[in-house]
Amino acid sequence: MTDSVVNYVNKNWTAILQALWQHITISVIAMLITIAIAIPLAIVLVNRPKIGEVISQIAGVIQTIPSLAVLGILIPFVGIGTVPAIIALVLYAIMPIFQNTYAGLTHIDPVLIEAADALGVTRRFKLFRIELPLAMPMILSGIRIATVLVIGTATLAALIGGGGLGTYILLGIQTNNNAALIVGAVLSAILALIASWLIKVLAKVSFKKLGIGLVTLLVLGGIGFGWTQLTRPSQTITIAGKMGGEPEILINMYKDLIEENQPNVHVQLKPNFGGTSFLFKALQSGKVDVYPEFTGTALQSLVKKPNGINRNPRKAYQDAKRELNAKFKMTYLQPMAYQNGYAMAVRRSTAKRYHLRTVADLARVGGRLKGAFDPDFYQQSDGYPGLQKAYHLSLKSVRTMEPSLRYEALADGRVDVTDAYTTDPQIRQYHLVTLVDSKKFFPPYQGAPLMTNQFAKRHPEVVRDLNRLAGKISTTDMQEMNYQVTVKHLKAADVARHYLIHHDLMK
Amino acid sequence: MIEFSHVTKQYPDLVALKDLNLTINDGELFVLVGPSGSGKTTLLKMINRLVVPTAGSVKIDHQDVSQTNIRLLRRGIGYVLQTGALFPNMTVAENAAIQLDNLGWDPQKKHDRIVDLMNRVNLDPDVFLVKMPSELSGGEAQRVGIVRALAGRPKLVLMDEPFSALDPVSRRQLQKIMIELHKQIDTTIVFVTHDIHEATLLADRLAIIHNGVLLQVGEPDHMMANPADDFVKYFFDAEDSGSRLLEQVVASGLGRPKTAADNVIELRNDQTVYEWAGLLERNPNERVSVDGLVLTASDLISYIADFAKGGQR
Repeated sequence: MTDSVVNYVNKNWTAILQALWQHITISVIAMLITIAIAIPLAIVLVNRPKIGEVISQIAGVIQTIPSLAVLGILIPFVGIGTVPAIIALVLYAIMPIFQNTYAGLTHIDPVLIEAADALGVTRRFKLFRIELPLAMPMILSGIRIATVLVIGTATLAALIGGGGLGTYILLGIQTNNNAALIVGAVLSAILALIASWLIKVLAKVSFKKLGIGLVTLLVLGGIGFGWTQLTRPSQTITIAGKMGGEPEILINMYKDLIEENQPNVHVQLKPNFGGTSFLFKALQSGKVDVYPEFTGTALQSLVKKPNGINRNPRKAYQDAKRELNAKFKMTYLQPMAYQNGYAMAVRRSTAKRYHLRTVADLARVGGRLKGAFDPDFYQQSDGYPGLQKAYHLSLKSVRTMEPSLRYEALADGRVDVTDAYTTDPQIRQYHLVTLVDSKKFFPPYQGAPLMTNQFAKRHPEVVRDLNRLAGKISTTDMQEMNYQVTVKHLKAADVARHYLIHHDLMK
Repeated sequence: MIEFSHVTKQYPDLVALKDLNLTINDGELFVLVGPSGSGKTTLLKMINRLVVPTAGSVKIDHQDVSQTNIRLLRRGIGYVLQTGALFPNMTVAENAAIQLDNLGWDPQKKHDRIVDLMNRVNLDPDVFLVKMPSELSGGEAQRVGIVRALAGRPKLVLMDEPFSALDPVSRRQLQKIMIELHKQIDTTIVFVTHDIHEATLLADRLAIIHNGVLLQVGEPDHMMANPADDFVKYFFDAEDSGSRLLEQVVASGLGRPKTAADNVIELRNDQTVYEWAGLLERNPNERVSVDGLVLTASDLISYIADFAKGGQR
């Protein structure tokens, strides 16, 4: 376990540092905004206790809404990415800071307030020299609570493409990679502890020094930001991918292909950006310029034609391309060769023993074999129920199992048949055999770059570069590359480049 | 000159002051005295508008306080509260200079003024100016409170029961300091207390207030001799016992001769039984020595018991 984590960190440390930095940035921005809202709000409302009470209640209610729901609610209004993540974090953090500031200000010894009033000090003097310093311990503890909360909740930003350490937690869960999960979880916990400790230390530093420090930090940050803005290439294209290793490999290929031909273009990659609807919305709103999408997914989830999907891959692609253009003004480039659709997988020994080559062969001996399916596949009409009808397939027994577990169950002989995605690395890892869908029951899933028509029109070179992948990459190639990345934990960028060079797509 | 005319303060459930008229002259140390809840503090706070009268007017030098800028008004008035009410986040020096900061004094002038006043209240500036309020005793904190009130050379200082939370020894010291300070400066001081002994000790003139009504105004000696009614008389009777001195305890035959083995606190015979009681309150086993005699807690109880039987009078 420790070895695999160390190994993982060694191979990915630049990306991990980047995610850590992103996590810190998101948290710091959220905290600064929260402080800028919550403290002045409390100051204003301290003399208006009725409104203060109402605001306090509202802030409390917001905090009881699950953070995931807040993110979901925000998507239609502010889209996806860093902005809604920060808004959600701010909504969360307001409550502890507001309440503590409010309590700190209202719990000042009334004798001191009377003294300040009776001495005729200015409003500013009273606030900055008396009230805020006296409330400061409470305010700081509020800030500390909020910071720990924000750093923890910021891991959810990954769900909506906000990046940060949550990316590794999510990746770890989705690809069954415990090393990634541990890296994400442990780093965010350590970050929270350090931040909490830092605030405790800073609490002992005087107001003046704190102010000077903050200004210095802001100036340095501004210079740094300005520098990166000035020195970055003239043109930036953002390419995102769904969760997992395969999309990451693909977008790395896109990046290499584009940058090799157009040195003045900088391609920014956003791997593990989120699910289909997040990515599609990001594409529509222009936050993302290109992402790889499957024909089957496009037809089912995007243009919503789940029933009439043509079983001919070529026709399915044409349908998807036409509909995407008509409905969303999107350009769907030429697909690659490989299929990442559903398949029936069996052990090699089983295939040999029963002479299984096609699903029809499987139907022949179904009564002797036990099956385990992913719950979705087990229920959907284009899954097991449909398959049963199409092939008159009936297995000895069938149960549902988490996707990552069913391969293990198959490999160690507890079951004999599972559903699989054709490019899953486990097929190679466990030496499984996928059966040919001779009746073309499963819809075709071919990957191809998706972009808006506007982008395609403005960047004909990008279209040309990406089209070089059309018809390339066989299912076995993809399987092998997925195996390298998700099982062997090689870097997606290296695997992608290796393929491109090996197949003369790049020098 | 401060003039209260027909001042009334009505709270939802009680009348704190009823149609009260009073004039306080420039430069006098004027004491408002009465039992707790009498309305004396309410009257004091009307002067700097911490309390606004329901009816009637308060004028300082013929100017209605409700018509003046509230901050400028208050910046020109010193204020001492029951506890020091020093701001715990500031040093003694910063606390003492608050009004000066708000009045815009330059730093050197400010420093000189605070040092001068610290000396006058017997606090060594070199030692105390850099301290934080949490490092001060109650008496020291209250001295800083007085410095703070006097710093801006106000024409008027208001003091709201400033010594009532102190132990008897500190109280006595501060009362002496007040009397000295009052001789040195020509500031008008309005002083609130429930302690008639303190009132007669300090006051140029005093006013007795009871249940929101002004009972009598005048010089302490004159009032003691000519009480306006039974309440005033009763109040001064209490004062009589207040001046009971240790001399009288010794004279009544209590106490035993001091030996070399006795570990005692020496008290003078002109200190009061209340100071003695104050010491016993902190340590019931404390023994004191007056005029070569040792007194214990049981002597105090005997003395008071006798006094109740009328034996001493």
